[in-house]
Amino acid sequence: MDNTISIDTQTVLVKTNKKLILENRLPGDLAMWFFILAELTVFAILFIGFAVSEQLNPEMFVQGKAKLHQITGLINTLTLITSSFFVALALTKMHQGYGKQAAKLLVVAKLVASIYIGVKIWEYLSLFELGIDIETNTFFTLYFMITFFHLMHVLLGMVILIFVALKAAKNEYNESNISGFESGASYWHMVDLLWIILFPLIYVI
Amino acid sequence: MKLTNPNNKNTLSWLWLVALTVVSTYVGIFLELLNTQKSLFIAIVLFIVFLKGQQIIDIFMELEHAPKFWRRLLLAYVILLPIIIGLIYLL
Repeated sequence: MDNTISIDTQTVLVKTNKKLILENRLPGDLAMWFFILAELTVFAILFIGFAVSEQLNPEMFVQGKAKLHQITGLINTLTLITSSFFVALALTKMHQGYGKQAAKLLVVAKLVASIYIGVKIWEYLSLFELGIDIETNTFFTLYFMITFFHLMHVLLGMVILIFVALKAAKNEYNESNISGFESGASYWHMVDLLWIILFPLIYVI
Repeated sequence: MKLTNPNNKNTLSWLWLVALTVVSTYVGIFLELLNTQKSLFIAIVLFIVFLKGQQIIDIFMELEHAPKFWRRLLLAYVILLPIIIGLIYLL
């Protein structure tokens, strides 16, 4: 019988056909998940603050949103979703032991994400040309603060993915040492998760 | 039992996310044509946030098979935050 099963209170490890399969385990490092929770909490406060401010200044927010290009929000949502998709594919490849292919998929993910950065910079510049900046009114203070804070997270995520891709290309990850890859991927998905709330809140509703 | 999501599962999830994004962007125009209330529009858009969040958490983050505590914690975020935002807009 080539199946061995070890059971503890949290984790079930099953070895099938020499491939280690884990169920009921948290991908990545626990520390990264606490970091993700902290980030989600900070953004939740910002999102709630934005919604409350909109209720206090409805006219200002309607006029402010009218000056934004909804299409740029749509493009950025699609780029982040697509980038996350490639990171998910990369993780699948890494689990299968194909480090170099995983690294290539991460490069594609970063290239797609760079569209987001380009669009965001264009959006900022087009607002500056209209004479709009962070001090224009409460709407634009919150708009610039929240979107720039998110942009910083995208840039940090890209730096993390660069390190992960370099290690993956050198085949430094394996089934027993993959939490670094998983942590980087989870952080990137968190950036995506935040944007899917930010986009409708600022651009759509 | 599976550790990784097969590529087709990731692909289906991605297509679903793209479709939901397009719907949430343009549902307002459609509802405006039907002369419906803005509250319905906000409710639909926020429900789509939950649907998209659930896909990212379960499929992309691979929390579908993670310990229930962590999965529920993350899912609570995409359930409670849209509800709070919805209440602020609708009340």
